[in-house]
Amino acid sequence: MAELSFILNGSRVRYDGSAADRLLDALRNEYHCTSVKCGCGEGECGACAVLIDGVLHNSCCVAVGAVQDAQVVTLEGYRETARFQALDRAFAELSAVQCGFCTPGILLAAEALLSRSPHPDEAEIREGLSGNLCRCTGYNAIVNAVKRAAEEGDGLW
Amino acid sequence: MVNGYVPASLQEALEIRAGQDVIPYAGGTDLMVKRRPDAQYLFIGRLPELRQITEDENYIHIGAAVTFTEALADPRVPALMKAAVSRIGAPAIRNAGTFGGNVGNASAKADSVPVEVAADAKLRLISLRGERVVEIESFYHGHGTHDLGPDELIAEILLPRTGLDHWYYEKVGGRSALAISRISFASVFDMQEDRITKAAAAFGAVSDTVLRFRDLEAMLIGRSVAEAKDMKPAYLRAYDERLQLTEGRVSAQYRKRVCLNLLEDSLRTFGI
Repeated sequence: MAELSFILNGSRVRYDGSAADRLLDALRNEYHCTSVKCGCGEGECGACAVLIDGVLHNSCCVAVGAVQDAQVVTLEGYRETARFQALDRAFAELSAVQCGFCTPGILLAAEALLSRSPHPDEAEIREGLSGNLCRCTGYNAIVNAVKRAAEEGDGLW
Repeated sequence: MVNGYVPASLQEALEIRAGQDVIPYAGGTDLMVKRRPDAQYLFIGRLPELRQITEDENYIHIGAAVTFTEALADPRVPALMKAAVSRIGAPAIRNAGTFGGNVGNASAKADSVPVEVAADAKLRLISLRGERVVEIESFYHGHGTHDLGPDELIAEILLPRTGLDHWYYEKVGGRSALAISRISFASVFDMQEDRITKAAAAFGAVSDTVLRFRDLEAMLIGRSVAEAKDMKPAYLRAYDERLQLTEGRVSAQYRKRVCLNLLEDSLRTFGI
């Protein structure tokens, strides 16, 4: 049987564990991508969100076998991009981060939204982030930060 | 690869399915929550043969591995189905969750299934032995169990192309996103020459399987709207008697009250 491997933040990696293992656990324990958090383990909080072939997924609900040969991007990879810089600046300026546990998932959900809709209105932003729970900020600062990133990062998406 | 198969084609998937004890894995959103690290998964989620939406004269064929996000973007998918799947989870769940998985998981809370039941959808099941097409209603035996053979895969959901213009859908959950249905309700209504030809009502998340009562619907078939209005109290009473609902996260009484309210509201929407 073919070996299990995928492309993690641009580099091909091999996975020797079970194809039934959660991608979440593989990312954290095998590849030390600790930006990926386990909040609920049931796909209901978004803290483990990653991009798989550019599409937002909760990595707690993905088996490693399902990403054979796919492109997986975590915040460790995304933070090297200009788009991240725009979001990072806006989140800092508007205090959209408090404890930070949800932030990696929120940033990747924002990326998924903006890459589909570069100039979203508030309703679209709230819908795009509706799978990401934040227990600190009350969301308004996050929504405003995504809006500002879209404005100031105009042309990046 | 340990504990899994990634077939390159549908044919290869069917061969593995026939020869091994595997669990078909499309989107994973239900399977992975069950946390079965020893499960042998057959990863069919990226097989092109299962990812298509096509049409023939009578049906829209939605491939088993088509995701809810993909269906929402496709103009051929009926508005009733979009109303239901747009309320599932949140973007990341809709990006992963599939039509085949929603059916195959055999939960009465599956949000696409009440629509399929109300719409008289069919399933195409395939194996090395051939294929068979079954009515969605007859596919389910009870909570978590259905009629899929150990060597079979769900290939597609067949939704009728016509007769779905007059519909009603409502999902009652604890919040607007990331909510498991407490009650879901889909109905389809049709008339020809002032006579009711279809008044299908499907209730999800309130019993072991999605409920539909064709004998009660028959009370309205062939009637005019005026006649149906006269029948309405008796019709609602008949449902009140028949709806024997299970207790869940919410009480059976609450479920019944909401089911009857939704049924009445749907009739009102259809002018009855």
